Amino acid sequence: MFAFLVARRYLRSNPWQTALLIAGVALGVTAFVFITALIQGLAVRLTDDVTAKSAHVSLEPADRVARVLPSSDYDTEAVALVSMLQRKQIRTWAATVALLESQAEVTAISPQITGSAVLVRGEAAAPVAVTALEPKNLDAISPVSREIIAGDARLNANGILIGVRLAETMGLSVGQPVLFRTDRGIDRLLVVEGIFRSGVQSLDERVAYISLETARPLFLLPSGVTNIEIKLKDTGQARAFANFVSGATGLRATPWQDRNSSLADALTAQGQTGTLIQIFSLISVLIGIASALSLSANRRRSEIGIMRAFGVSRLFIASVFVMQGLLIGIVGASLGCLAGYGLCGWLATFTKPDGALALPIAPAEGGYGLVFLLTTAGAVLASVIPARSAARLDALEAIQQ
Amino acid sequence: MTSVLDARGIVMTFQNGDEFTRVLLGVDVTLDPGELVALLGASGSGKSTLLSVVGLLLRPTAGVITIGGERVDTLSDAKSSLFRNKRLGFIFQFHNLLPDFTALENVSFPAAAVGGGINSAIRQRASELLARVGLSDRMNFPAARLSGGQKQRVAIARALMNRPELVLADEPTGSLDRASADQVLALMREINREDGTTFLICTHDERVASRCTRRITLRDGQIDSGIRDKTS
Repeated sequence: MFAFLVARRYLRSNPWQTALLIAGVALGVTAFVFITALIQGLAVRLTDDVTAKSAHVSLEPADRVARVLPSSDYDTEAVALVSMLQRKQIRTWAATVALLESQAEVTAISPQITGSAVLVRGEAAAPVAVTALEPKNLDAISPVSREIIAGDARLNANGILIGVRLAETMGLSVGQPVLFRTDRGIDRLLVVEGIFRSGVQSLDERVAYISLETARPLFLLPSGVTNIEIKLKDTGQARAFANFVSGATGLRATPWQDRNSSLADALTAQGQTGTLIQIFSLISVLIGIASALSLSANRRRSEIGIMRAFGVSRLFIASVFVMQGLLIGIVGASLGCLAGYGLCGWLATFTKPDGALALPIAPAEGGYGLVFLLTTAGAVLASVIPARSAARLDALEAIQQ
Repeated sequence: MTSVLDARGIVMTFQNGDEFTRVLLGVDVTLDPGELVALLGASGSGKSTLLSVVGLLLRPTAGVITIGGERVDTLSDAKSSLFRNKRLGFIFQFHNLLPDFTALENVSFPAAAVGGGINSAIRQRASELLARVGLSDRMNFPAARLSGGQKQRVAIARALMNRPELVLADEPTGSLDRASADQVLALMREINREDGTTFLICTHDERVASRCTRRITLRDGQIDSGIRDKTS
């Protein structure tokens, strides 16, 4: 295509200006890639932080409501009331666990009894949120054993694991007994087997772990569980899986996103901020292209006049400038993607002492395809204005100048 | 015999705000095939305007223009562009060539821009034309590095690229030294004589006019006289 040859020749005729123009485009694309990789990396890190220590889907009994009972007597109406004393539980949890184990996307299952209790030692008393689970599942949802700083995480029949701040408050250490009083009013003396430090203050001063078998008589649940916690291979599938399990079991299934709506809001706000920065960096790129090509069109007025005089069409003139925009967009976007990937890859080599990335950047998530398409298409659009003005030049006026 | 150019009653008025300037006041011009005509006149007489009107670069306020038997003053912009490309040739005093292209590319340009590129036929025709104007050894020279006379010879070759019926030249020797001007003029005469290509040369140089077969003089927007000089 001859217009392409002419466009290429025009760009090559002024190598410094072309190089600066391409560098400007590449810089804008690099900024776009960096922001995209950073936002994606930050989102992945925040999501990982949240989902690493919590269930991806939680199953609980559906809410019980009072219901009207069928009756043959038209004069009376019977209603089954909901007992506030009766604890909600999943009686058929074994069957549910079997169903979950058959699902390929499930990586861990932990049937649990959760409830409230008070730890009493002498005159000191502290409320705790109790999680009772099978000892083999202790690390299934949250890596509790890795956070043990004193004692161990065996979780024997009369043992209890407590957080470090709770231990400090009550003056407890490993091996000491403590009175455990449940919200059902049942007491039992348990022994502190391990003390953990999660790094989250509320957990370290309010949470305690006991074994499922220990919890059954204490919470008056001889066979059921209060909830089943599930981990999945792909956290992004949590909502779909929750819908599936809810439909299959009749239980209330809650994905992790619903339990962390503030995180979702933060990620959305972060994404929107990133999008704004991306839009502005692209706009600056496009303005640069449009102004540079406008200057070029102005500088080449007499040449355009000569071309028009010997019968070159306005469409041809316009396509020469559009081709220049296309070439600048393709080369600039390619170089910008390469530079962006290199920059992100380099930044990803910096780590903190604990091995985590200093900057939560994801070099593979730079949105390369998107920015390449947007920049190339935008460069073509930006060149339309100078292309139109060049094509509209009056041949005689341009030659006379 | 059909005239190459037949312009009747050409009126050209320019408007600048409320002010109207009448440059051509009913000019009649006819050129026969093979003529080499000098268009003379003082500055402001309207000769460059007449050349632009005849070259379809300006649309006349009134009048009828026929080139090669086809009425052209009513053509659309796109059609008049194509007509210029296929049937007219232009030689200008300044801004002759595209400086970023070689001599061969400049000559090929009118055909390549319409034909989609420089194919072998276009390349061969351009090479022949450059050889004819004595620039075989400068084909791949960038236009910017050619001398003034060489540039004008390339411009003549480019004007002939699409085998036009009429070549319009606006002060073609105006910016050249005497030797180069003589070369360019001799070249145009040779092409006129050998190919029968009709030339309309706008000039104020009596030396140029004296070597043409006819002269048309414009004065204040009207034809002053028409003399056929067969002795040159």
